[in-house]
Amino acid sequence: MVELEHEGPPSAQERAPVRRKRTGIPAIYFAIVLLVALVFLFTLGNRNFLSAYNLNTIASYAAILLVVGLGQMCTILIGGIDLSVGGLISFVSVAFVITLKTAGAWAFPLCLVVGMIAGAINGNILTRIKIPSFIATLGTGGILTSLALMVSPLPVDVPAASYGLLDIVNGTVLGIPNLLLLTTAVFLFFYVILRFTTVGRKIYYTGSNIKMSWMSGIDIGQTRNFAFVLSGLAAAIAAMMQSCSQFGGNPTLGKVYILQSIAAVVVGGTALTGGTGGAVNTVIGALILSVMENGMNVVGVDAYFQQSILGIVIIVSVALTFDRSKTAMIK
Amino acid sequence: MPNNVSSKSPAGQSNWLSAFTAKGRSWFHRSGIGGQLLSLMIVTGIFTIGTKGRFLSGANLQVILSLAAIPAMIAIGLHQVVVLGGIDLSVEGVVASCVVLVGLLAHNKFNSNDVRFWIVPIVVGFGGLAGIMNGVLHTKLRIPSFISTLGMSWILWGLAVFVSNGQTVPLLKNPLTGFVHGTLLGIPDLALLALALLVIMQIIQDRTRFGRYLYAIGGDEVLAAQAGVSVEKTKIIVFGIAGLFYGLSALFLAVELDSAQAITGNNLLFPAVTAVAVGGVALTGGIGSAKNAALGALIVTALNDGLILLNVNPYAQEAVNGFVLVTAVALTIDRRKLGFIK
Amino acid sequence: MTLGHQTSRTAKESVLELRRITKSYPGVVALHEVNFTVHRNEIVGLIGENGAGKSTLMKILIGLIQPDEGSYQLRGERVTLRGPANAARHGVGMVFQEGSLLPNLSIMENLFLCHEIGFRKFGFLSQRAMRETASSVLSLVKVTSDLETPISETTSAVRQMVEIARLLWLSRLYHQENPVLVLDEPTTVLTENERKTLFTILSEIKSQASIILISHRLQEVVENSDRIVILKDGKNVTDLEAGSAKVADIENMMVGHTFAAERYREDEQVEPGNEIVLSVRDLSKRGAFEPFNLTVRKGEIVSLVGLVGSGKEAVCRCINGLEKPDRGSIALGGKKLAPDSPSETVRSGIGHIPIDRRSEGLALGMTVAENVNLLVLDRLKVAGLVSPAREKDNARRLIQECRIKTPSSSTICANLSGGNQQKTVIAKWLSAKIQLLVLDHPTRGVDVGAKEEIYKLIRKLARDGISMIVMCDTLEEDIGLCHRMLIMKDGRLVSEMSCPRDKKPSPGNIIALIV
Repeated sequence: MVELEHEGPPSAQERAPVRRKRTGIPAIYFAIVLLVALVFLFTLGNRNFLSAYNLNTIASYAAILLVVGLGQMCTILIGGIDLSVGGLISFVSVAFVITLKTAGAWAFPLCLVVGMIAGAINGNILTRIKIPSFIATLGTGGILTSLALMVSPLPVDVPAASYGLLDIVNGTVLGIPNLLLLTTAVFLFFYVILRFTTVGRKIYYTGSNIKMSWMSGIDIGQTRNFAFVLSGLAAAIAAMMQSCSQFGGNPTLGKVYILQSIAAVVVGGTALTGGTGGAVNTVIGALILSVMENGMNVVGVDAYFQQSILGIVIIVSVALTFDRSKTAMIK
Repeated sequence: MPNNVSSKSPAGQSNWLSAFTAKGRSWFHRSGIGGQLLSLMIVTGIFTIGTKGRFLSGANLQVILSLAAIPAMIAIGLHQVVVLGGIDLSVEGVVASCVVLVGLLAHNKFNSNDVRFWIVPIVVGFGGLAGIMNGVLHTKLRIPSFISTLGMSWILWGLAVFVSNGQTVPLLKNPLTGFVHGTLLGIPDLALLALALLVIMQIIQDRTRFGRYLYAIGGDEVLAAQAGVSVEKTKIIVFGIAGLFYGLSALFLAVELDSAQAITGNNLLFPAVTAVAVGGVALTGGIGSAKNAALGALIVTALNDGLILLNVNPYAQEAVNGFVLVTAVALTIDRRKLGFIK
Repeated sequence: MTLGHQTSRTAKESVLELRRITKSYPGVVALHEVNFTVHRNEIVGLIGENGAGKSTLMKILIGLIQPDEGSYQLRGERVTLRGPANAARHGVGMVFQEGSLLPNLSIMENLFLCHEIGFRKFGFLSQRAMRETASSVLSLVKVTSDLETPISETTSAVRQMVEIARLLWLSRLYHQENPVLVLDEPTTVLTENERKTLFTILSEIKSQASIILISHRLQEVVENSDRIVILKDGKNVTDLEAGSAKVADIENMMVGHTFAAERYREDEQVEPGNEIVLSVRDLSKRGAFEPFNLTVRKGEIVSLVGLVGSGKEAVCRCINGLEKPDRGSIALGGKKLAPDSPSETVRSGIGHIPIDRRSEGLALGMTVAENVNLLVLDRLKVAGLVSPAREKDNARRLIQECRIKTPSSSTICANLSGGNQQKTVIAKWLSAKIQLLVLDHPTRGVDVGAKEEIYKLIRKLARDGISMIVMCDTLEEDIGLCHRMLIMKDGRLVSEMSCPRDKKPSPGNIIALIV
């Protein structure tokens, strides 16, 4: 819509060349189409792709990724990003195991709290020190990685005596693995918070137009803290799920999740610019990534080459969903 | 700086000494390395006292210089992207793929290739191409540089490991080995090369049109475009130059280690970004030059060297670096430019 | 240079001619068959209210936008300019109010940016050659600062001069005779002395260039121009010799549109209640405005009027919590407010319709429903969670009440017209229980039909007991809508005028107080 923007002197933005407009189709449809296409392709490559065993593998991989992704999504929705999830997952992974040995079942709530505190620290750094999230979380991620290695330079195993405690993740209820049930619970938690609570909505408003949100009375600092706390919480849950299913913790485990969580969010159709997307998008995204990883293995693509493919997928997804009308310059 | 201060004294005659010192003072003030030199002195002071002088020993200084050379080169490449107002997170991927390329082409145990000195332009050129690719993705697809370079890093890293099958290629004697390990009057050759490159880049920034355009874009991209700067072209060149430096660094890293493996590239990004930030190159763009980047690398290297000498837990080092990074960015960023922080 | 015809001023050769320029936007005609000529070696003053079309005309002059109809002749030839950089090569340039210099580059670097090719020696830029040229160019505009000073460290006066010098130098470089320089409100940021220097320099430059001076300071324009052009409502009003012009006459020519009282629904203007809703005492902010007092009663509409630099925007920003005043108090409904941020003022019951709805008023990427419900989510909850059903109902109600034309409540706001977007913003605040609403140019960029509906909404708000402070695009709008008008100039409240329903003052009365 061309407008007589204002009758005063041309703003700096107006003096720059005109930008194109966005398309109207929600990104999630593209994501679903992509998912279906991938499943189709891989099944063509190898009929075993759709076997129950394989589907279970896909689901399990997607589950943990989804949890991290949901947290990452909150920070992306608000227009930022959380690069510290890697460090946090590494740290909680080992801290959890060690705490299990000393404090038993208390390890679970303790690690949840640690995750939330890490998130709160991230949020506060952003609000008080006012530096961009990708640098702040790069920094805190580094610190957390260090902490992980200091706590335990090598992988640690859960003592056999504590295996029972792990049943909360490893067990089954009515034949359904707890892992999937827990993931569903986490998904519902995020879905409800983002869609049906005021503070969740504020994340959307802030991500969509931070200036307007501020002027309309939304407490940006509080909203931002909340988004990052959710991210920390999700990362902690994911780390615990991982440690439980692997019966041990690993201080270098987290790094790969940085790329994967961002990919899951972006590929599912949530724009990096914030304000659009949601939990369902991230589910599709996590599934796409899981299908890709699994599918490429089944079909015989080299594991390392998959990383390259992931890089391409992220660039393409961002290129398609980035809202360029939001800023005059893209840095 | 007061306005309307000309370099002539009030009497109207140019007093060359006062003009010289006034110029020196204003250069120093504007060059923005005052804080960095001060930090370097503080760091040196703390560690010299802490290690009872060992920090300042000839041997240690040599170690610092030789350790700082390659990070300095990487930082010099990286900082120009930051001056533009963007960021380049692709170091690790570019270095990984360049190192693997070295493994393919240099004199080694796995194949009979030996391209001798041609290795330099080939590897450096490949790095430059990767950099150009970064620039093209960022400008043509119009996506933020942090995502395009992060994505490229992953793409290149994956390719590197895939092509090399994750193997390590031991390198045999090659013309560069002497250079990489050599010294001249006690100063490591690599450090001297880094210094030479620093001088070249600084001159390019100060004395060419390209340098003007670089800082104009960093100052205000929209106004620069309005004044007639070809923003896209300049950006692509800047990313390309960064790639050249990464390629060069990769080459030296491989020769230094006498082996070519994809993981050589790991853990290079963090120190490089820290070096650039500590050197005083503002993340918001438009401020900071090659000397800032190189000084930053020196400070970070000296800091980490000191920590090692003091027997600080090696894992704590990354934590210290993380803390330093956040502080450095917080101090140099121009908040007016950022508007609202996300 | 033309010789002969020295007695006849009209024989002065024209450098730039815009003829029958017409430019429209959806719903608005910005310029209608406007003629504008600039002669050699002259200073032309361009005068007109906001919305008169000055900015649009100048944007066309420097090639930022193209006219729908009309011709552009430069030095006798037809041209199509493609933006400021291209215009500079034709010897036409504009010094914008905010400045176009790069803050981190030095004076010299800015002066020659993108045109340094002449200074190249073996690929590098010759500092000595650049310095020499820079010194001589800058001496024309009397700038003696150190050439290496970054622009961020210079004063506004110096910056303006550097921009003028650059334009002059560029026209010399590209062999364009008699460049045309547009200066947009140059004196707003200058001190008294700097203003004198500026005009001295302009009269000196006149011998080699022509200048278009845009300023709201009529006295200044009369004193320093050769000729004055007045625009009103996108059309030419007149073109007069500055020598014979009188400020009072100009004022009268600037305003005085045909005025339809029904337009602003003046018959719906109801007397406000007696209860005082807003009380502002001794509010001041250094650099913006001096001790300011204001009381607003329930349902009253108060209009703040003043030109650039009057301080009215800053006053409203303080009332809305967007800025902190240095001193003074604000009380709403008897309760003192010391707002640190907009969240406090909003919570207390003060709303804000911002001037730029796209960047400040709406989340364009979100739906109409989401935008109008932003302030009242807590009220739409069932069992602690926001209820989609209630959201939809609330949205539907507001869409109806405010006559927002939208296919549905789930339409993305970016797809609405300007007028409907503005109504969405108003609806958002209508839904919240506010006592005071500040409206910053509520009908800017809105088509005629939507303007009318917004006036109706404003009347409704007043009837519902909501007090309002408005700042409008035109004096007529201010007068038509308000009960009372406060006139500000240079940071001070200079006058107050009441605008009762049947005895509205005319714009002519007021304009003298503003300028």
